[in-house]
Amino acid sequence: MSEASTALVVLSQPALQRALLGGLLTGALGGLLGSFAVLRQLSFFSDALGHAALLGLSLGILLGINPTLVLIPFAVLFALLVNQLVARSGLPADALLNITYSSSLALAVLVLSLVKTTQGGIQQLLFGDILGISRGDLVVISLLLIAASGVLALGLRAQVLLTLNADLAAAFGVRVALHRLVFIVLLAVVVAVSIKAVGVLLISAFVVIPACAGRLLSRRFPRYMLLSATLGGGCALLGLLGSALTDLPSGPCVVVVQLLGFLVALAVQRA
Amino acid sequence: MNASASPASSPVLVVDNLSVLRDGRLAVEGVSFRLARETDTALVGPNGAGKSTLVAALLGLLPRAAGTVQVLGHPLGPAGELPRAVRAQLAYLPQSLGLQGRLPLTVEEFVGFGSDPCGPSLAWLGGPRRHEAVQRALVRTACHDLADRRLSDLSAGQLKRVLLAFCVVRPRQLLVLDEAQAGLDAPASEQFQQLLLELRRQEGWTVLQVSHDLEMVRRSCDQVLCLNRHLRCSGAPDHALSPAGLADLYGPNLVPYRHHHPGDGR
Repeated sequence: MSEASTALVVLSQPALQRALLGGLLTGALGGLLGSFAVLRQLSFFSDALGHAALLGLSLGILLGINPTLVLIPFAVLFALLVNQLVARSGLPADALLNITYSSSLALAVLVLSLVKTTQGGIQQLLFGDILGISRGDLVVISLLLIAASGVLALGLRAQVLLTLNADLAAAFGVRVALHRLVFIVLLAVVVAVSIKAVGVLLISAFVVIPACAGRLLSRRFPRYMLLSATLGGGCALLGLLGSALTDLPSGPCVVVVQLLGFLVALAVQRA
Repeated sequence: MNASASPASSPVLVVDNLSVLRDGRLAVEGVSFRLARETDTALVGPNGAGKSTLVAALLGLLPRAAGTVQVLGHPLGPAGELPRAVRAQLAYLPQSLGLQGRLPLTVEEFVGFGSDPCGPSLAWLGGPRRHEAVQRALVRTACHDLADRRLSDLSAGQLKRVLLAFCVVRPRQLLVLDEAQAGLDAPASEQFQQLLLELRRQEGWTVLQVSHDLEMVRRSCDQVLCLNRHLRCSGAPDHALSPAGLADLYGPNLVPYRHHHPGDGR
C-alpha cells in the first residue's frame, strides 16, 4: 500500500477525525484566550491552573468521582483562590503562582501515589489523550469557543483598558473587578476543558505560543485576536496530522508545530 | 438623564469634609473644596501628602472613610457609583500607562475606546461617526500622524497628547490629571500644558490637576489647593503659593522649583 493510501486510511478513522476537529477547536480556543492572557500577563497563571487541574483530577480518582466532573469546579475554585491571594497578600504574582504551581504538583503526585493508576493513565493526564475525545467533548468545546468569543468581544475594550491602567479603566466606568473575575473564570474553564486533549504539561503552550506569534505579526487588536486563534487552531491541526502520520505523541507534535510557527513569525516580523 | 442639566452656575465638583484611608492610615483628612465650571485648579503638596489618594477617592477608585463628594450635582456612592451619564462626563489622565513591548493596539484604536470605554466592543469595529470623532480628536491634539503607530512605540510626550485625544474624542465636563506631566522634558511639558489650556477653553472643561510644577501652576491655574493630609490653604495662586503658604506646605527650607532637565537652559 502506498504512503498516500495509508494516510487516507488513517485519516478516515472516526476517532482521528474527532481528534483533528477537537484539536482545531481547542487550539483556536487556547489562542483566543491566550491573546488576552498574554496581554494581561497571565501566561504563568494558565500553567499553574494546569497543574492545579492535575490535583483536581487526582482527587477525583481518589474519591471515585468522575474526574471530568471534578475538573471544572476545581479549576474555577482554584483560580478564584489564587486571584484573592494575589490581590490580598501583596506578594508578587509570579512568586505566588510558583508556590501554587509546585504545591499542586506535589499534592497531585502524593494523591496519585495513594491510588492504583496505570502508567498509561498518568501519561494521559500529563500529555492528554486527543484520540479519546468524544462527540460530547466536541460539543462542549464548541459551545465554550462560542461563549468565549462572545464574552471577549463584548468586554474587549474593558479588558484592554484595564491592562493599560486599572485606575484609568475604573475612572471611565469599567467594572474592573468584574472583568478581572470573568476573564479568570473563563481561563480556568478553558484550561479545565482542554486538559483532556492537551494534557497538564502542555496546556500553557496552547495558551501562550500562538498568542505570542500573533502578537509579533499584529499591529491592530482585532487582527491580533483572530491571528492568535487561527494560529492556535492551525498549528494544532498540523501537529495532529503529523502525529497521526508519523505515530509520534500528539501533544508534543502540536507544541513543536506551534514553536515552528512562533519562529516563522519572529523571522517574518524581523524581515 | 442629562448630566449637563445642572445650572451653569453650579459647581462641577463639591467635596465636603472628605477623609480617605489608604493602607490602614488616614491619608486625607477633612478636606472640603469646590470646583467652579471651566476653571483650572491645581492640587499641590509634598510627596506622600495624599494628592493621588484624594484624586482616587474623587473618582470613586478608593472608598471614603468620611465626607461626601458630589459630581455634577450627583452624590458619589460609597463604592464610587455614579450614574453612567455622569461618569461619561469625567476624564482621567494617569501618570503612566502599563505599556508592554509590541502592544498590538494602535493610537487610532485606543482613542476610539475613549468614545465609549464600557460599551460593547463590536461597535468599535464600525461606525463612520465614531471614525470621524476619532480623526477629529487626533487632529486637534496634533496626533493625526500617529494614528497607525502602536501605542507602545510612542515617546512620553506623544503618549500624553494621545491621552488628551482619548479624552477629547467625546464631550466631557471634568478632567482630572494626576501628575500628567511627569516624565516629560521641559519643551514637551510646555507643549502639553499649552495644548491642555487650548482644549480646556475650546471644550469648556473644568480641570483638576495634581502637579509639582509650581511655576506652571502659578502661570496657568485659577485656583490652588495645598494639601498635606489636610487642606493647608487654597485660593488664587498668588495667595496660596505665597512664601508663607509654601513654607507651611513644604517646610521652611523649600527652594521654589520646577522640573529641570539637562539642556533645559532655563
